[in-house]
Amino acid sequence: MDMGRVIAVSGKGGAGKTLLAALLVRKLVKTGHKSILAIDADPDSNLPDALGVFVESTIGDIREEFSVEQSRLPPGYSKDAWLESKVFEIMVETPSFDVLVMGRPEGPGCYCAVNHILRKIIDSMTGGYDYAIIDAEAGLEHLSRRTTQNVDDMIVVTNGSLSGFNTAERIKNLANELRIKFKHLYLVVNRANSSHEKLILKRVGSIGLEFAGGIPEDANVAEYNLLGKSLLELPDDSPAVKAMDEIMEKLSMQGGK
Amino acid sequence: MKIPVDVSVVHEGERIRKEDMYVELGGPKVSSKGELVRVRKPGEIRDGNVEVEGPDFDKLKEGGRYPFAIFVEVAGKNVEEDLEAVIERRIHDYCNYVEGFMHLNQRYDIWCRLSKKSYERGFNTLKYLGQALITLFKAELPIIEKIQVTFITDEKKVEAFVNDARKIYEARDARARALSEEEVDTFYGCVLCQSFAPTHFCVITPDRISLCGSINWFDGRAAARVDPKGPNFAIPKGELIDEVNGEYSGVNKVVKERSQGETERFYLHSIFNFPHTSCGCFESIAFYIPEVDGVGVVHRDYIGETVLGVPFSTLATQTGGGKQVEGFLGMAIEYMRSPKFLQADGGWNRMVWLPKSVKERVIDDIPAELRDKIATEEDATDIAALKGFLKERGHPVVERWREVEAVEVPELEVMPVGAPGGIKIILQNAKIHAEKVIIKKIK
Ligand SMILES: Nc1ncnc2c1ncn2[C@@H]1O[C@H](COP(=O)(O)OP(=O)(O)OP(=O)(O)O)[C@@H](O)[C@H]1O
Ligand code: SF4
Ligand SMILES: [Mg+2]
Repeated sequence: MDMGRVIAVSGKGGAGKTLLAALLVRKLVKTGHKSILAIDADPDSNLPDALGVFVESTIGDIREEFSVEQSRLPPGYSKDAWLESKVFEIMVETPSFDVLVMGRPEGPGCYCAVNHILRKIIDSMTGGYDYAIIDAEAGLEHLSRRTTQNVDDMIVVTNGSLSGFNTAERIKNLANELRIKFKHLYLVVNRANSSHEKLILKRVGSIGLEFAGGIPEDANVAEYNLLGKSLLELPDDSPAVKAMDEIMEKLSMQGGK
Repeated sequence: MKIPVDVSVVHEGERIRKEDMYVELGGPKVSSKGELVRVRKPGEIRDGNVEVEGPDFDKLKEGGRYPFAIFVEVAGKNVEEDLEAVIERRIHDYCNYVEGFMHLNQRYDIWCRLSKKSYERGFNTLKYLGQALITLFKAELPIIEKIQVTFITDEKKVEAFVNDARKIYEARDARARALSEEEVDTFYGCVLCQSFAPTHFCVITPDRISLCGSINWFDGRAAARVDPKGPNFAIPKGELIDEVNGEYSGVNKVVKERSQGETERFYLHSIFNFPHTSCGCFESIAFYIPEVDGVGVVHRDYIGETVLGVPFSTLATQTGGGKQVEGFLGMAIEYMRSPKFLQADGGWNRMVWLPKSVKERVIDDIPAELRDKIATEEDATDIAALKGFLKERGHPVVERWREVEAVEVPELEVMPVGAPGGIKIILQNAKIHAEKVIIKKIK
């Protein structure tokens, strides 16, 4: 089986991670891709809302259920297989993409064994899709705990401010410290003032991330968010959607198959 | 009959999305489903035969979910009933080798999907699946000389099949539960927790589940087989050095290697002398209570103070970290069900205190005559009350109190083992009377 491409979106709270993740899924769907997995790895998740799906249970729920169930499972009953089936069960399947939510962080118990098994399951599962898009949190918690491991590319979203760039740089350093190897480490600037473009490009160059483009302020995005509407339904000519063409090209993700 | 799709290990892990599926067989939304392997006599098998009872793929409506059973019967000179479970697990692997066929879970919980693409390419009968299974079983497990496969999709028949299968799973589980250290020559180890307790590793035997409660001997065996370079590995048990304590030469050898020289030997069934180390993952802690010469247990979910006057978290600090600490043992609650549960220390006869919720969980495994003699937080929350309770109920440890005169020590400071300049105090057969045991963090 061909391994698909796994892309994680990270950035500070409110930077626009969920927006970018949703727009990536939207573009892939529109270009005819059928094998897409969207993973919400942010504990205060809202990716399902942005994608217009309702998710009932999370990986976190499975973990808790396992800690209760493990002693009740018969001795000859494979825990790996039980967990794998649970992961498939909580996955939301839409006609064009699937959604998996990591959920809340661990409680005080011990999760070494269950995390180890879940990691293997999730890694093998993400590999089964052409594209897996992960809406990750700024602290890279899931990456540091290796809940998600085989990420190919990381996109850091930031606003055009100085502190936004500092965060981007911190994430880059953190990834280095954790020895997470990405094929590409991209930067997307969200809600930037286009008149500052030159200055922004200069800063991007100085922190050593590949610039993948910018998303302008888009009134529709704010409105859809307030109305709880799926970002997949944004009109094609909405400014944020239009900006995705360039970003997709920079990420070499254009074209369906 | 040539199978119209590819059959190979490269299709393992292939996911069939709802949108792409032709039909779903079994799964969480279907109540009757199951799979079973039985060993037969060679004469009872029509080698290579595949039967389909109930509607086949081409009679099932696209997009539907259906009851499903897979029944594999095998024979061979060296195929014994014990192997049924192992062979059965391969159904999962081999089904997943089939392009466009997905198999999840096990036993009465199987969940399969056939893809539209494979159906359109002519995979329109379960006979192909049977043929693939038969070919793979014979190629990969040459001890199987004869094999036949039956698929059932007829709801009533699947139901009846699963009812019968349940009895077989139960009998198998009963045998598995009865399996003991004496009957196997291999134990399993786990080093997953070395990332934060570098000198700790778990020894898992049929009589001793891992202290996190997640890995029993069967899980260890399966994991070590599937991923020999992974965190679980086989431990040849070697010679039995001490039956009561549960000491084995093979275990000690691995203990030295895997603890980076920190630990020399393990007593698998004692809290004294050379207890199993603990990382931090234990479901519960067994702790020695010198005042009553008994053992107490507290679990992670217990809120409040134990009979020692400290909560779980304080004891956990004392117990964890991968050091051998006499009188403290991290363990799974399930270990309390083991026939060898702390057998060197007297087992249940030494157990004096445990939280009510744990007691309720293991009540059937507590010898009947001891059930009302073991205190919970409702009976005693301090040592004085515990003493009174044990005396009043006539707990077996009370006998031990008379054996040796109490030694009066005004104050004894016990340093944590392994702390710089720490000393190791071995309280074996000693009777020390203390009003209070205070465990403090050293600044
Ligand atoms: N380009 C944009 N135009 C208009 N509004 C935007 C734009 N980008 C983000 N927003 C708004 O900013 C808020 C935060 O965006 P988003 O949820 O995508 O960020 P996030 O990084 O995922 O945040 P969190 O850390 O809370 O998950 C949302 O209300 C969103 O509607
Ligand atoms: S506690 Fe569990 S996960 Fe940790 S080493 Fe032991 S068996 Fe492995
Ligand atoms: Mg978000």
